[in-house]
Amino acid sequence: MSDATRKNVVETRNVWKIFGARADEAMEAVRRDNLTKAEVLEQYQAVVGVRDVSISVGESEIFCIMGLSGSGKSTLVRHINRLIEPTGGEILINGVNVGDLDAEELRVMRADKIGMVFQNMALLPHRTVRDNIAFALELRNVDAFTRAQVADRTIELVDLQGYGDRYPSELSGGMQQRVGLARAMAADPDILLMDEPFSALDPLIRRGLQDEFLELSKSMKKTTLFITHDLDEAIRMGSRIAIMKDGEIVQTGTPEEIVTKPADDYVADFVAGISKLKLIFAHTVMQPVEKYESGGVMLPSLQDCPQADPEDDLDTLVGLAVNQDNPVVIMSDNKPVGVVTKDALLRGIQGET
Amino acid sequence: MNDTPDIRKPFIDFAGANGAYYADVFLQIQKATLGRFHLNKAALLGGFVWAALRGNWKLFIIGFVVDLITLVNCALVHKYSNAAIENAGKAYLVERYEGWTQTHLVSAIVVFVIGRLLFAWLADRFYSAQYEKWRIDRRVNSGLVASRLLIALLISLLILPLLLYRTTQFAPEERSCIRQDRAIAKGEHVEFKKRFDCFIIGEFPTFIWIDRPDQISFPRDDDGNRTIKRTPPSEGAPPVNLNTYTSQAIDDGISYLTVFYGFLFDGITHVLRGMLSAITSVFVGTPWPITMSVLLFIAYQVAGSRTAIFVGASLIYLAVFGFWQTAMDTMSLVVASSLICVVAGLPLGVWVGKSRRGQAVVTPILDVMQTIPSFVYLLPAIAFFSIGKPPGILATVIFAMPPMVRLTALGIRHVPDNTKEAALAFGANPRQLLTKVELPLALPSIMAGINQVVMMSLSMVVIAALIGAGGMGYVVTEALENTETGRGVLAGIGIALLAMMIDRVVQKAKVTRQ
Repeated sequence: MSDATRKNVVETRNVWKIFGARADEAMEAVRRDNLTKAEVLEQYQAVVGVRDVSISVGESEIFCIMGLSGSGKSTLVRHINRLIEPTGGEILINGVNVGDLDAEELRVMRADKIGMVFQNMALLPHRTVRDNIAFALELRNVDAFTRAQVADRTIELVDLQGYGDRYPSELSGGMQQRVGLARAMAADPDILLMDEPFSALDPLIRRGLQDEFLELSKSMKKTTLFITHDLDEAIRMGSRIAIMKDGEIVQTGTPEEIVTKPADDYVADFVAGISKLKLIFAHTVMQPVEKYESGGVMLPSLQDCPQADPEDDLDTLVGLAVNQDNPVVIMSDNKPVGVVTKDALLRGIQGET
Repeated sequence: MNDTPDIRKPFIDFAGANGAYYADVFLQIQKATLGRFHLNKAALLGGFVWAALRGNWKLFIIGFVVDLITLVNCALVHKYSNAAIENAGKAYLVERYEGWTQTHLVSAIVVFVIGRLLFAWLADRFYSAQYEKWRIDRRVNSGLVASRLLIALLISLLILPLLLYRTTQFAPEERSCIRQDRAIAKGEHVEFKKRFDCFIIGEFPTFIWIDRPDQISFPRDDDGNRTIKRTPPSEGAPPVNLNTYTSQAIDDGISYLTVFYGFLFDGITHVLRGMLSAITSVFVGTPWPITMSVLLFIAYQVAGSRTAIFVGASLIYLAVFGFWQTAMDTMSLVVASSLICVVAGLPLGVWVGKSRRGQAVVTPILDVMQTIPSFVYLLPAIAFFSIGKPPGILATVIFAMPPMVRLTALGIRHVPDNTKEAALAFGANPRQLLTKVELPLALPSIMAGINQVVMMSLSMVVIAALIGAGGMGYVVTEALENTETGRGVLAGIGIALLAMMIDRVVQKAKVTRQ
């Protein structure tokens, strides 16, 4: 993905977060001696939450941060709207250093620029769905009439028509999270921070909401930081994925890069169980025509072979290859550029390319 | 027992001497097959000595206390039977001492028998608990160690002689001891036994004697201004103890404040009186049909028809039995104090709920306010504000405020962190966070606080009748003074109805709000 041409909406530069009474001392020591997490805990009774993280998220990109619990992903994302102050490093939003904002500017930025969705919804139980959605607007002293109108529009967006006057407790978990999503979007922010929004939902509802969110995201074009502990979800949602472990980013890349070129054993372990059907493309598994024919087998005539594009994924290739004895021929500019045999296809599904 | 030696081994390791017996018993305990009346015979015979040998100090204390009580009773038997013999000439004394001798003899036997049986019954059960602890932590006492007897012996030596001496001697009176103190101060000779008796077996001796403080009064000078006048104590006046000295100092402080800052207390009294008269004019100044219908209407609106019927019946009781005026007086007092409690307690509660320092400062004060008996509040109230309704209200406010602060703080503290975080993430400022998130979510708790405040105000307002606050409490105190039981009971029922009325309405208000 060509990020160079894109404007970076969210950028973190060498962000550190150390929790504990002696965080600053620990920070200095870490900078000086490059201590590990365990050493910091032992020597300073401080916990390294985020360790030297630099990421940049482009406009209308969905950037997934994936990691197990305790890996610091939620901590990292709370730095972006400064719910947590970094111990070191800086966070830029549209080029503005968040750390330089005073209390009022920070509030304005939180209310106008950033919407946030929480794993546990965190809706206000004493307010109706409509008032919950309009909460950010209310905090900015928008009048009640405008609020109701905006809220009703957002309710339609997340498909909750007719529930505006209900209380959150009357809604199911999936519906509550739609309210959470609507609340984040009501103020029309540029950036969405989603902290494991679908983790607490059961798998079917999660899938539905993921699809809905992807569709919404396509039309609304919001820069999104999406946190998850589920690699499947990260691959489904993310245009890029950062994998975190012990507060550090282990690897950043597109879903295909993560799956095909895991940076270390930790990532490889994660990737092992992932379905590659939609992640690996023809150009990765094909072999050049000459190499195929060097085995002494002649390629059947092109009309008899199923044909595919280099950008087609394994799923498509499998569809073409069933009920076929001939290999799939990959065509580019009406010329055959490669061949995918069934063996290569099966290996590809295994993840060995 | 057909258990393998492996299973029995840890028990034997633990118990050491006589391990086989304990292995059997512990296995029975684990299998829940131990007899209901199983006794440890060694413990039955050995008492606390057995516990000391086994290193179980919990059992040691139980066994030791049993033996101690027995011993004390025996000593008392000895003392009173001797006394009976000494006073053989006086029939009434002999009869009294013989009675006491018998009582203590029975106590000694009963305590010893039941205590030892209980001890032996507990012994194996406690000892197996000790085994469980020993499995977790090998430093826990195990086995049978003779050196632990030394500790038991030492404790016995420390306690027993003095105790036996005390029980065989008649304790000296406090007054004779004070006289003796003075005699010693003058250099007279007092025999050792008397000194010892006063110091060890009498009342706790007064260690600190302080010179009498100056008498302080505040006369007016020629211009009418008050001045401080100190009169030194008369020559040779006996010294006072710490209690007398300090209470004198507190009294002086209070009179100083009332004399020189009287305007402050007068001001407060004035404000309270004004507020009260405004409220009283609603309850008492309005003709009874109007007050009654308004109260009924409020009850119906807030709490529905059933509560309204109850309120109506209670009001009719009060009216018919001639308590209308006094009940409305009490109502005004309750409303006034509750209002002050809520207005002052709510912000205080928010502060306590949000600030660690607030909690550290206010919580101990609230603890004190709640534990001091309510009557004690009446004294400073009188000292500063003399008698009447305003000091009654103040005493009530102090008594009834703690639950408001506590429950508000509790409600604020129980607002989920993630809800607050969400509000902050959407750009809430501290004021918005409080009014739009924290207070609404704390509302059920706050309403419970208000309910408590109202009920406690009512109970204190009744007591405040002692300092002239009037109302229903006055009827009760009057009945008490003249032992008019019937009148007192009727007034008591009236107060109960008043309380139930208010409680029902406030409770229902709480429910409908949720």
